[in-house]
Amino acid sequence: MDAEAADVALAQSGDGSAFERLYRTHVPRVHGLVRRMLDPGHADDITQDVFVRAWEKLHTFRGEAAFGTWLHRLAVNVILARRKTLGGERRRFHEDGEILESVSGRAAAPEHGVDFEAAINRLPDGARQVFLLHDVQGFRHEEIAQMLGIVPGTSKSQLHHARMALRKYLDR
Amino acid sequence: MNDQWTDRLSEYLDDELDQPQRAALEAHLAGCEVCTQTLAELRRVVGRAQGLDDRPPATDLWPGIATRIGVSTDDLARRRVRRISFTVPQLIAASIVLVAASAGVVWMLSRQEPVSAPVTSVPSSQARPVKWVARADSSGDHAVEELRLALQEGQRAGRLSPITVRKIEHSLAVIDSAIAEARRALEVDPNSDYLNSHLADTMRLKMQFLREANRIATAQT
Repeated sequence: MDAEAADVALAQSGDGSAFERLYRTHVPRVHGLVRRMLDPGHADDITQDVFVRAWEKLHTFRGEAAFGTWLHRLAVNVILARRKTLGGERRRFHEDGEILESVSGRAAAPEHGVDFEAAINRLPDGARQVFLLHDVQGFRHEEIAQMLGIVPGTSKSQLHHARMALRKYLDR
Repeated sequence: MNDQWTDRLSEYLDDELDQPQRAALEAHLAGCEVCTQTLAELRRVVGRAQGLDDRPPATDLWPGIATRIGVSTDDLARRRVRRISFTVPQLIAASIVLVAASAGVVWMLSRQEPVSAPVTSVPSSQARPVKWVARADSSGDHAVEELRLALQEGQRAGRLSPITVRKIEHSLAVIDSAIAEARRALEVDPNSDYLNSHLADTMRLKMQFLREANRIATAQT
């Protein structure tokens, strides 16, 4: 049974229980995205913002894409908007050498997932955002470019540099 | 390392090179161990990214969300308890009573003089239920098929009585009949607030019925 589609329809008609089921299904991935894109200390607050925003915007969901795709895109928009209000955004898009140098330090156990996440967190903001959106979330370069206000070529370039940096880290 | 080939490895990995570029890179890879090794490592990085563990937050965020969107968690808890206590006869009876109670009003309204306002003048707030119905209809088709399979399986295994299955199917037919009646009435009076709301309510009832019936059928199979 396409239970999620039914829950979306029910939630659109104001059914809070249906929306809670959608929340339970999607919160791990949304929280993971927020935690990796921003300071983990803000993850809970911003995850709440994402679902409140989703509830408010649910009437605009027309089922043209999967609900999860729609929700994750909305989450990215909330995250990017919050980044601006949090301020202190670092220079987003760095030259190759800076990226490669920024991922430094030897991991005690390079194959361990937590260390890989730590390596991702050390990437410059722009490369990290593109890497997370493309390789973790599955967005296409055209979508990423639109969301981040860059051209697809920049997205491709940042992704490659991020991967190269992480590859170097895994080699240690 | 930063030669013309290395910089194209990610695009190759993502299948974003055109055919001539791809062929040229593959020809290079056939003779370059460094690039072949780098490509394998990039592939590992992508695989690791796709395998990152997503965990729910340590604290349940739902109560805070429920408060902010105006949904009472107490109400939800009570509704969950009440839903679990549904039996098949209760479910069927509730569905039939709800549909029957409103069907008479639909019948009367469908025989009144139609309101001749042009469709283009309908405010979006009035048109919303019809759009919702279109989406719910598609969702309902999946749900009906899933329920049909669950009922078949339950009956085949002998754990769901034929009488129960017939009653569920009959209830569904009653709801579908009410939906068809509401749609016919809407063709006569497309701007009726009541008819639009009634159709949306009946579709919502159908979705709830399908979910409950499916849960019951699955629980018994």
